[in-house]
Amino acid sequence: MTKGRPVVAVVDDDPRLLESLADLLESAGYAARSFSSARSLLVSGLSGMDVLITDIGMPGMNGFELCDLVKKVRPDLPVFLITGRYQIAEADRTQGVSGCFRKPFDAQVMLAAIGDVLRKSKNGG
Amino acid sequence: MMSVWSRRPHFLHLGLFIAAYVLGCGFAQALAIVPGTGISIWPPSGLFMATLILASRHSWPWWVLGGCLAELFSNALWFHNPLSVALLIYTGNVLEAVAGAWLVTWACRRPFRLETLQEVLTLVVLGAGIAPVASATVGSATLAWFGMQTFAAAWPLFWLGDATGVLIVAPLALAVLQNCGGRTQLSAARWMEACVLGLIFLGVAALSLSGHLPSAYIVMPPLLWAAVRFEFKGAAVALTLLALITVVFTISGTSQFVGDPEFQKQMQFALQLFLAISAFSVLTVAAVSRQHQQALLTLRDSERELSQLVDMVPSHVWRLRPDGEPIFFNKRMTDFIGLDVADLDKPGMSRLEAVIETVHPDDAAGFGDALRRSLAIGESFALRYRLRRADGVYRWMSSRAEPLRDQDGRIVQWFGLCHDIDNQVHAEEALRRSEQQLQQMIDAVPVRIWSATPTGGPVYFNKRYQDHFRSVIANFEAIEEPRIEELLQELIHPEDAPEVQRTLQNCFETGGGSSMRFRWREKDGVYRWAECRVEPWRDQAGAIAQWYGVSLDIDEEVRAQEALRERERELSQIVNMVPVHIRRLTPDGEPTFFNKRLLDFFGLSDVAQLDKHGMSRLAAAIKTLVHPEDATRLLETVRHSLATGEPYAMKYRMLRADGVYRWVDGRGEPLRDQSGAIVHWYAISIDIDDQMRLYRDLEEREAKIRRLVDSDIIGIVIWDLDGRVIDANDAFLRMVQYGREDVEAGLRWFDMTPPEWQDVHAREEAEELKATGKMQAREKEYFRKDGSRVPVLIGAACFEGQSRQGVAYILDLTERKRAEAAQMRAEEALRQAADELAKATQATSLAELSASIAHEVNQPLAAIVANSHACHRWLSAEPPNLERAKTTAERIIRDANSAADVVSRIRAVFKQSTQTGSCTALNSAMAEALDLTAEEAARRRVRIDTGIEDDLPLVALDRVQVQQVLINLMRNGMDAMDSVQGDRVLLVRARRMGDVVQTEISDRGAGIEFPDKIFEPFFTTKGTGMGMGLAICRSIVESHGGRLWAEKNEPQGATFVFTLPVEVKAVP
Repeated sequence: MTKGRPVVAVVDDDPRLLESLADLLESAGYAARSFSSARSLLVSGLSGMDVLITDIGMPGMNGFELCDLVKKVRPDLPVFLITGRYQIAEADRTQGVSGCFRKPFDAQVMLAAIGDVLRKSKNGG
Repeated sequence: MMSVWSRRPHFLHLGLFIAAYVLGCGFAQALAIVPGTGISIWPPSGLFMATLILASRHSWPWWVLGGCLAELFSNALWFHNPLSVALLIYTGNVLEAVAGAWLVTWACRRPFRLETLQEVLTLVVLGAGIAPVASATVGSATLAWFGMQTFAAAWPLFWLGDATGVLIVAPLALAVLQNCGGRTQLSAARWMEACVLGLIFLGVAALSLSGHLPSAYIVMPPLLWAAVRFEFKGAAVALTLLALITVVFTISGTSQFVGDPEFQKQMQFALQLFLAISAFSVLTVAAVSRQHQQALLTLRDSERELSQLVDMVPSHVWRLRPDGEPIFFNKRMTDFIGLDVADLDKPGMSRLEAVIETVHPDDAAGFGDALRRSLAIGESFALRYRLRRADGVYRWMSSRAEPLRDQDGRIVQWFGLCHDIDNQVHAEEALRRSEQQLQQMIDAVPVRIWSATPTGGPVYFNKRYQDHFRSVIANFEAIEEPRIEELLQELIHPEDAPEVQRTLQNCFETGGGSSMRFRWREKDGVYRWAECRVEPWRDQAGAIAQWYGVSLDIDEEVRAQEALRERERELSQIVNMVPVHIRRLTPDGEPTFFNKRLLDFFGLSDVAQLDKHGMSRLAAAIKTLVHPEDATRLLETVRHSLATGEPYAMKYRMLRADGVYRWVDGRGEPLRDQSGAIVHWYAISIDIDDQMRLYRDLEEREAKIRRLVDSDIIGIVIWDLDGRVIDANDAFLRMVQYGREDVEAGLRWFDMTPPEWQDVHAREEAEELKATGKMQAREKEYFRKDGSRVPVLIGAACFEGQSRQGVAYILDLTERKRAEAAQMRAEEALRQAADELAKATQATSLAELSASIAHEVNQPLAAIVANSHACHRWLSAEPPNLERAKTTAERIIRDANSAADVVSRIRAVFKQSTQTGSCTALNSAMAEALDLTAEEAARRRVRIDTGIEDDLPLVALDRVQVQQVLINLMRNGMDAMDSVQGDRVLLVRARRMGDVVQTEISDRGAGIEFPDKIFEPFFTTKGTGMGMGLAICRSIVESHGGRLWAEKNEPQGATFVFTLPVEVKAVP
C-alpha cells in the first residue's frame, strides 16, 4: 500500500500543546490530525492513522484507557504517550506502547522515534 | 142509658121536686070546688114547666119519671082515678110541660131569667096559653073516653086550671129556684115596707074574698104595689099568698066563689079567671117595673163608669162656660193644681183669671190671650205652657179646648183637655241637645262622613268634608244636588278614580257595602292616602234607607305599611345575605322557611322538596340532610326543645349539595307572642367546618405542647420582665428545688439569678427580647433554694403581642457540664492526634504542591520546546518556510509568557495567605513541626537537637506555611544525611536577634555546592524532586517579611537560616 505522507494523530486536552505538536510534525513532513479528547478521536475513527500520540492525564477517558481501546482495534498502530507528571514508570509497563515522553520532551528524539516505528511497520508490513 | 144516668140531677133536688109536686097536687085537690069536674088550679104544671126550663134537656127524663111517681102517688091519695086514666092524664101533663119549656126556651134563648117584659109575655103566651092545650086535650079526651065527663065540658076547665097553675107557680118556682143560691139583702126600710104591704094585702084579700068587700078584684092594688116595689119576688110571693088565701076561704066556704051547686061551675071558672087575671097583671107590672129598674141601674152604672173614666184618664179634663168661667175640673186636675172649681171663687177676680194665675208668669199672658181669643171667635184652642203644681213646681202642659155647640150652632160649653208633657218636653230638649252634640261631634271628629239617599243622590257631608271640598273644589257651593261619586272624582287621584267610581256604582246597584283605598287631593295639592267605607242602613223591612260613608286619612298608615314592606324586603335580603343558614319552624316543628343560603347549601329550590310520605317534614329533613351519626341526637334535641320551649344549641354535620358533610353550629329559639305562646321557632346554623378543623389542629398542637410541658423533661417557665415567675412546670421546680407553693407565693427568677448574670440580663437578654422577641439559647446559672448554683441552658421567647411576658425553656446542665469536662479531656487528646495528622499532611502537601506546579509549568514548557524545534525546522528547510516559522515563534513567546504567569500566580498565592496570618507564639509552632518530623527522623536514624529560646516573642505568621518551611528544611537536612555514615544530627535553633527571630536548621550532610543557585526554581541536587522546595520556602519566608539563606557548615554539611520579623505591638 502506497500513500503520501504518514498520518499522525495527536490527542491532548491542552490546545497549546496540540497546536505546537501538529506544527512540529508537519515541519517534519507528517500529516498531523489533532483531537482535543479521546472521545473525539474515537468518533473520527482510527482508519488511515499511522501513529497515535496521546496525553495521559485528560478529563474523561485518559491516555491509558485510550491506548487499551486502540490496541484492541488496531494492535499494529504505534502509540506514544506523553505526560506532564511522574507516570512514566506506569507508562513503561503498559503493553504495546512504542514510547513515552515526559513534558517537556525533546522534539528531536520524538521525531526520531516516530520515524523508527514507521520504518519498522513498513518493513514489517 | 148511661148518658141518661150520668146526666141525672141531684137526688135531693129530685126528691124536693117530687115533694113539691105532691104538695101541688094536694093544693089542687083542696081547690077542687066542684066534685067530679076536676080541679080549678093545677099548680104542678107551673112547677113542672119551670123545672124543665131551668134543667138541662138531657135530665128531662128524670124529672118526667119523678113527676110520674108524684102524680101516681097523689092519685092514690086523693084523686082515686083508675091507673090508666091517671097515666093518660099525666102523659098530657108531660106533653104540656115539655112543650111549654121547649117553646119558652126556644123563643127566649137560654138562660131564661124572667126579667124582661118579653120573657114574661113569652111565658104567659107560650107557657100558660099554648102548652096547656096539649094537657087539656089529652086529659079531656081521657075523661070523655072513660065516660067521666064530656070532652067539651072538661076541656076549658082543664086548660084554664093548667094555665092558672103555670101563671101562678111558674114565676114563683123560677124565682125560688134561681135565687136559692144567692141571698138578696134587703134594707130595714124595705123590710118595713114589705111587712106593711103584707099586712095591707092580707087584710084587703081577707076582706074582699070573704065577701065583705064587693069585689074580689079590690085586692089588685096591693098586688100591683108588691109587683112594682118588689118585682118578681114580690109578685110571686103575693100571688102565692093570694092563692093560699083563696084556697082557705074556698075550703071554709066563706069565699065569694062558694055558692050554690048550680053556680059552682061558673064560680070555679070565675075563681080561675080571677087568679089568672091577677097573675097576668101582676107579672106584667113586675116585668115592666123590673125593666125600668134595670134601665135605671144601667144608666147609673154607665154614669159612674164615665165619671171614673174622666177621673182616670191621665189628663186634666175641664169644662168652661161659653163666657170662659170654669165649671168642672176632673179629679186629676184638682189634685194637680190643688184647687177645686169652687176654690177659684176669689173676691175681685173671675174664675178664669184665677186659673190664669196658676200658669207660669212667662206663659200666663200668652195663655190668657189665646184662650180669650178662642172664646171670642169660637175656634179651638191649643197651647203649651207651664202650669204650677200644688207643690209650687211648674210643669209643662199641652192643652186643647173645643167648643160644644147645640143644634143651632150656639156654643153650649167648652171642653178642655190638658196633659202633663213635662217629661216629654224635657226629653225633647234632651233629644235636641243630644242631636246638637251629635252634630258637633260629627263635625268635630277627624273623619269625613257623608250620607246619601238610597240611589246615591243628594248627599250630606259633615263639616270637615265640606271644608275639604271647599278647599279643593273651586265652585263647590255652586254644585246642585251633588252625587257622592261625582264629587269624589274631583278629589281622587286620576289613577284611582275609575276604580272608586266603579265600586261606588256597584254598591248603589247591588246594595252591598264596600271599602276602598285611594289617594285624594288635599288643599295644598298634595295627594294623601284615604280609606272610604260605604255601608247601607236598612229599615225594618230591609229596604235601604240611607247610605253612609266614612273617609279616613290613612296616609301615614299606608306609608308606614310601604316602609314596612320595604323593610321586610330589606330584611329578607339580609336574611339571605348573612353568612348564616336561617330556617323558620312552626310551633310543632315543621320547617316552613329556609333562607336562600340554606337552600343553596342543600341544593334545594324549595322547602317543600323535603316532604316525604309517612313522616313529618322535620324528621325527613334531618334524616336526609344531617350526618347519620348526628341525626338521631339532633332530632331528639329539637323535639325536646319543641316540647319544653327551651332554646337548643348543638354542633352537627350537614350534607352539602356536593355530597360533603360540613360541621355547623346550630341554634334554635322560639318567638313568643305577648301572651307567651310560641308563634314560630327560628333556627340558625353557621358553617364552622373550617373552624372545627382549625380547632382540631390547634388541639393537636396544644396537646403536643402540653405533652412537652407535662413530660417534665425540660423546665418551662412563664415569666415577665419584671422578674416574676408566673408559672413553672415541675421539671423546673425540681431543678431549682423550689415547691409549687413558692410559685404561688410569688417566685422571682431575677432573685434566683446570680449577681454576675443579673447585669447580663439587664443589658443583653432584655435587649435581645425587646428587639427580636426571642432570646437565643445561652448558658447561665441559677441559685437553688439552698443557695447552691445550678448551670442551665436557657432560651426564651416573648408571647405574641406581649413584649413583657413570655415562655422560657431551661435545661439542667449539671450533668452535661460534668460530661463536657470529661469530653474536653478526650477532645484534647483527639485534637493533638489531629494536629499530628495535619502536620503529616502538611509534610506531604508541599511535595504534592510541587508536582502540581510542575505540571502547570511543564505544559507551556513542552509547547515551547516543540515549537522551538518546529521553528528551527521551518527555518532549516529548503527553501525555509518563513511564514510558518514566524507563526511558530509567536507561539513560543505566547507560551513562555504563559509559564511566567504560572510562577507569578504561585507567588501571589503565598503572599495572600500571609496577610491573613495571626500573631502566634513561634515556640509552639516549632514544637509542633518537630513533633511531626520526630517519627520520620527516628525512622531515618537522625537525631534532632534543638536550641529554642523559651521566651520568643509573638510573630505574625501563617502557622501552617511557616511549619511547612520548617519541615521542608528539616527534611532536606535529613535527605542530605542519607548517605552519611557518621552521626546523623540535625540541629534546630531559634533565637531572637534584635527585631527578628532567627531560626537555623543545620545538617551534617555533603553540603551545598552553589549556595545561591539552590533557591532557584527547578534546581535540584537530588535524584527525585522538582527542585521547587527551597524556592517555595524562600517565597514563604520572604512573604512574611523575612529572609532565607544557606550557609556552609563546618566541618561539613549546610545550615539553612531564616528570619521572621517580631511584631512591635500585640494585637488585643
